[in-house]
Amino acid sequence: MLDALVALMDAAGGRCAYADARWVERSRESITVVDGAIEAVEIVDEEGVGVRVRVDGAWAFAATQELTRDGLEEALRRALALAQAEPRRPAAPLAAVAPARGSWRGPCAIDPFGVSLEEKLELLLAADEAMAGDPRIVRRRASCVAERTVKTFASTEGAACEQAAVECGGGIVAVAVADGELQVRSHPSAHAGDVAQAGWEHVLALDLPGNGGRVADQAVALLAAPPCPAGPTTVVIDSEQVALQLHESIGHALELDRMLGYEAAYAGTSWVRPTDLGALRYGSDGLNVTADATLPGALGTYGWDDEGVPAQRTPLIEGGRLVGALSSRETAGAVGLDASSGTMRADGFARQPLVRMPNVSLEPGDGGTLADLVAGVDEGLYLETNRSWSIDDRRLQFQFTTELAREIRGGELRGLRRNPVYAGITPRFWASLDAVGSAGERRLHGLTNCGKGEPGQLAGVSHGTVPARFLDVDVRPR
Amino acid sequence: MNRDELLDAARRAVRAAGGEALARAVGERSVTARMARSRPTQATDVRRFRVEVLCARDGHTGLAVAGRTDDDALAAAARRAHDAAVAAAHTGPGDYPGVPAPVPARGHEGFDTATATLEPRQAADAVAAALAAAAVRGVELAGTWSAGAVTTAIASSRGHEATDVVTDAQFKAVALGERGLRGYAARTAAAAGAIDPAAVAEEAAGKASPAAGDRADPLAGADAAELPVVLGPDAVAELLQFLGNLAFDGRAWAEGRSALSGRLGQRVAAACVSLSDSVRFPGTLPRAFDAEGTPKAPIPLIQDGVAHRVVHDVRSAARAGVGAASTGHATTPGGAVSGPMPRNLVLAGGGADDEAELMAPIERGLYVTRLWYVNPLRVKETLLTGVTREGTFLIEDGRIGRPAREVRFTDSVLRILAATETLTRRSRLVGTTQFYGPRFAYGVVCPALRAQGFRLTGVGPG
Repeated sequence: MLDALVALMDAAGGRCAYADARWVERSRESITVVDGAIEAVEIVDEEGVGVRVRVDGAWAFAATQELTRDGLEEALRRALALAQAEPRRPAAPLAAVAPARGSWRGPCAIDPFGVSLEEKLELLLAADEAMAGDPRIVRRRASCVAERTVKTFASTEGAACEQAAVECGGGIVAVAVADGELQVRSHPSAHAGDVAQAGWEHVLALDLPGNGGRVADQAVALLAAPPCPAGPTTVVIDSEQVALQLHESIGHALELDRMLGYEAAYAGTSWVRPTDLGALRYGSDGLNVTADATLPGALGTYGWDDEGVPAQRTPLIEGGRLVGALSSRETAGAVGLDASSGTMRADGFARQPLVRMPNVSLEPGDGGTLADLVAGVDEGLYLETNRSWSIDDRRLQFQFTTELAREIRGGELRGLRRNPVYAGITPRFWASLDAVGSAGERRLHGLTNCGKGEPGQLAGVSHGTVPARFLDVDVRPR
Repeated sequence: MNRDELLDAARRAVRAAGGEALARAVGERSVTARMARSRPTQATDVRRFRVEVLCARDGHTGLAVAGRTDDDALAAAARRAHDAAVAAAHTGPGDYPGVPAPVPARGHEGFDTATATLEPRQAADAVAAALAAAAVRGVELAGTWSAGAVTTAIASSRGHEATDVVTDAQFKAVALGERGLRGYAARTAAAAGAIDPAAVAEEAAGKASPAAGDRADPLAGADAAELPVVLGPDAVAELLQFLGNLAFDGRAWAEGRSALSGRLGQRVAAACVSLSDSVRFPGTLPRAFDAEGTPKAPIPLIQDGVAHRVVHDVRSAARAGVGAASTGHATTPGGAVSGPMPRNLVLAGGGADDEAELMAPIERGLYVTRLWYVNPLRVKETLLTGVTREGTFLIEDGRIGRPAREVRFTDSVLRILAATETLTRRSRLVGTTQFYGPRFAYGVVCPALRAQGFRLTGVGPG
């Protein structure tokens, strides 16, 4: 297919200022067990080509599944017709990039598509069984997913590259109901579990059956736990919820297309302005955040992004100060940056690339272990596993809930508290960051449901995070 | 791919599957144009199709999706679906009752030839018209125009064959005025020609350029407050769509997880609230049948404030037990794990002439155009949190007042409906503009409403 794309780009060369084409083949298998029954086994195979052109500053995109020479040429013609229908305007410069060449492949020890369906079902049914027993558990769910993506990319600037990656993961959820109260507990994380750029070995390492009993027990225990107390307090947040906090209030806020207002129609803008780069204090001195598309095993890892820019590691926040943003060739050029940070990604062949955060991570600090972080709290709360999330379209005012809270007294974890809610304003919240866990606590958390763009696109992203402690957090009743 | 080609692919997929099977072939053509900072930023033309093959064995299902329609691809998908169902069946009998019996579907008026065959220039013209209207008002504009046609063909081993072609068009505009004021307006229809982009832009611009005044704090410095509220149709639709998922999913209801589990027949809203799922109500985006080929029936969900029904696919109906049957609300062949969903909600209008009449009795309250990033906190109570976005105003002395800072709300949809006092007579379709995956337009037909005690739990800085 690469030869076909290169030929297509040769044909596009004289008809537009720039063009690129991606062939994407994606296979996905998802298996869900609910209440001891195999609820769904879904297998999706799709492939197609997306063609993007730029004519007199106007971008256009067309997608097709007709993969013949005529079909590709027709997609190019449609893209050109769309671009030519737009008003002429000055073309902002694209940040320069050397043409992408070569191939890249992500890690995968055990090919999940080579593991039998029976073996996968056996594992999920064992996890389901481990959650069964208490009549207050009204729904048990165990699931796993595997996805293989192969892409080729060519451009009118001479790019011609190929890459392939496998993603795999899973999770379990127990829902408990009694006396009008409903509680949820998940492992290893909310949002259908944890997914990594890896093979079946990642699912095995999650030990879903081994955690089923604990998950069910905690869901039931939460039904009778006292409500979470309200008021400003010190909170220690587990690395999974830190990942979502980071994702929503830093990752999205530092997407340069949002900062420039390009996503105002849907995803929103950002409270951060391009002129804040290098000047804005985002948080306390302990806040160090990096975007890294080279992180092994992470969902936002690749050889090149979807406009052929090499994957790279980009510091975003150093010592609490904003130093970088997530950019494309166009947005980098728009603010005078020398180069794109390589974050353009598309959801399959039928969507055009957007600025999407790669793996945005909180760098470890010197706060020690989770126990060390808790030991420094005389009175406060420990919050674990995201349950609900909401943030405004400038990524400034947020409110999150977690599945579980524990009271902290005298530097020790105490009893369960149910329905914890905390809220804040992004820079004030990160300014209250008091201690960051050490490197030994670092975990990768893979999310697959990050939405952006119109038509809608989902992207996978991992966050390397550690538990962290925050002062004077607004904890609310729910 | 056209209707005949898709039906042929669905038939061949069922034949390849051998035993009990259902195939749904879907083709899409979508054109989308976006703008930001008062200039076009994106134009896309997507043509795609897929064939979903469902195999059922001993109460278990396997679903495979092919992205090609040649015999080899369909046979491979059928084989994988079959193997998945057989593997699942090794665990003992499942609860899937089998692919539905053939039931003829009625036609509808949800197709517009001009929308299905539109040229790229029409998208560019729509954007240009909106930008020109915003320029006259002196506001910056962002927005999205999208139109498309979706053709669906169903075939099953029980001899069911059906096809449906629908179109939809949507335009939304976000206006950015002086002092950070923002306005929003949107329209959705089955036909692109029914939407006037310039008028939508004008409406958004009007909300972004009020006469004067800095933005007021609706909480007036308090941590939380309860205010009378007038919710515009976009805000009402957002709440109702969540209610649809949290309360009327027949599977969650049967499992005790729904907000209405054990509450059918009880009063759950004010007497002025009547909510239905009505696929042929004027202004909806009709569908002839659901993802399993079952015709969609109109369902009264809340009648005069009393909870009446939930919606089902064949799997949830089987789980619900005696007397339950599919109401044509499957979202995936075989039923989605998340359960059946109402996708044509209609909230009956009330007696108020317009939003101004809704505001008239309010001395101090809030007007909300739309809501954003809404998520459930407590599903059984339909307790949601979210923020207002673009077009939030104080209501002062019975009229629209100063623009307000965006606020966070944390409130129950059913509580809001129980505290609803009146609604506007006129309703309109509020459509979703998001398609994660294949195009699937749906929406809510609803009026604006006035309710007491809207619970605000925070205000954004600046």
